[in-house]
Amino acid sequence: MSALRRWVAVVREALATAWAQPVASVVTIVMVAGMCATVLLTTGRTVGAEQAVLGSIDSEGTRSIVIRAEPDAGLDATVLGRLAHIDGIQWAGAFGGAQDVTNIEFPGATKIPLRLVWSSQLDHLGITALPPVANASVWASPAALAGLGMPDAVGGVVDGSGLDFAVTGQLTTPDFLAFLEPLTIAPQTADTPGTVSVLVIIAERPDLVAPVAEAVQSVLGVTDLTKVTLTTSENLATLRGMVEGQLDSFGRSLVVVIFALTAVLVAAILYGLVMLRRKDFGRRRALGASQTLIIALLLTQTGALALVGATIGSIAAGIGLAASGDPLPGWDFVGAVALLSTTIGVIAALLPALAAARRDPLKELRVP
Amino acid sequence: MVDTIRLAAQDITFGYVPTVPILSGWSADFRAGEVVAITGPSGRGKSTLLYVLGLMLEPTAGQVNINGTDAAHRRDVDRANLRAHQYGFVFQDAALDATRTVLDNIIETTLYRGTPRRLAIRRAHELMDQFGVALRAGAKPGQVSGGQAQRIALCRALLNDPQILLADEPTGNLDPASSDLVVEALHAQAHRGAAVIVVTHDPALVARCDRRLEL
Repeated sequence: MSALRRWVAVVREALATAWAQPVASVVTIVMVAGMCATVLLTTGRTVGAEQAVLGSIDSEGTRSIVIRAEPDAGLDATVLGRLAHIDGIQWAGAFGGAQDVTNIEFPGATKIPLRLVWSSQLDHLGITALPPVANASVWASPAALAGLGMPDAVGGVVDGSGLDFAVTGQLTTPDFLAFLEPLTIAPQTADTPGTVSVLVIIAERPDLVAPVAEAVQSVLGVTDLTKVTLTTSENLATLRGMVEGQLDSFGRSLVVVIFALTAVLVAAILYGLVMLRRKDFGRRRALGASQTLIIALLLTQTGALALVGATIGSIAAGIGLAASGDPLPGWDFVGAVALLSTTIGVIAALLPALAAARRDPLKELRVP
Repeated sequence: MVDTIRLAAQDITFGYVPTVPILSGWSADFRAGEVVAITGPSGRGKSTLLYVLGLMLEPTAGQVNINGTDAAHRRDVDRANLRAHQYGFVFQDAALDATRTVLDNIIETTLYRGTPRRLAIRRAHELMDQFGVALRAGAKPGQVSGGQAQRIALCRALLNDPQILLADEPTGNLDPASSDLVVEALHAQAHRGAAVIVVTHDPALVARCDRRLEL
């Protein structure tokens, strides 16, 4: 018999044995489900809260670098090409100086600042299509549209010199650009020259803010650094790192303690179940089952039951967390806990399996 | 047809407590084709001897030779392998798995030998027909009589056409007709080339064995 067929036979026998012993199987499933659910309902709740807290302070604001340049500082749109060579940057956009525009239909109406913008990642602002008229179309945020009296984002704006732009659509202002509100932008192609007044850069991770900021300063290409101011969220990033570290440490300790306690409980109960079945293992050994086969059978059986238990426990915990309105931990965390619960169930069965395999077959057979 | 086999016990000594041997320097030859009865008063170690011959107990001294090679002191995995492939056992109380069906019990050893399950099921049905338990194939051992359980245990023992068949009181729970069936099956297996050893108190069974060894 091939190794695969033999393994299939072991799995079939393990499942048949589990099916034939409903009480022991249900107890095993309930124990592992309880272990999995306990971890998810305690640590999972902690992780969910941690993710929510970090999510709140981890909007791009904690990773932003803002450089403001005076008009004669010499910062121009070519800086984006140089930034492309720096690692650790998730997003970069260069904004020109603000020029007031009004609704072309109401020349004396509220003035809204319009900025030329250079960026290859305008999809962050909800702009996915190319401008129908290069360098002459504008997008406006809801706040800007309200100021322009243009709720449907259809119409045109005109600046003080009489230059007009077509309003093409509404943009979504991300948190890191909130300081530019009300925001109206005219996207420019990369080869369009222009002076940059505000350069906004988002680092990939909070801990990269400081090194990226340092690297950015070296490629600004300005003639007078005193006319440039750089603002970073480095302090906020540091605080975020500390909060994350403390929450992670607490969560890990909680997981270890809960898993350790439940693993001991699972092992003790499994040992009891194996002792109840010692006659079964004695018969198997007497009839020719090797110790390895006994161990494989017991571990496979426990593994299958633990998998069912972990699945049930995860679903039950998910329902419980949803019902209580607590934040749900991510799927990766749930999957990891389920996998770990199953593994612990199998490991907990190892000692009883070894004990079962080493039982004297004759002694067990002669027990009344 | 099983291969011809020769089983020999050489100076077997064994005691559950080493200082109190139950068997002391016991020797005997068992040839293929014969049914040997081991008899004697209770407590003399008949069943113990059977389990030593069956490689379940390791003698403190002496050898169990199979075709001239000592098997009693081999590694556990090798002895388990021999039990699975060359032995058939009928235990005193049948020793069936109460949680599985009769058919599952009969084909249990298939897993230990690594033989195809499909063929084993076919052979199991033939044996159940032969021993009159075919209608109980789907029942649990708790739902059959003691006599039926013993015949089921015999089916399990014969499934792999063993070269060595060991039976501990195989007719203990049986009526005369069933006993006849069992005795005929033991002889049939011996005629197929197996060495058959029976521990029994049943005079009728002893009378129908080819040889008797008194402990």
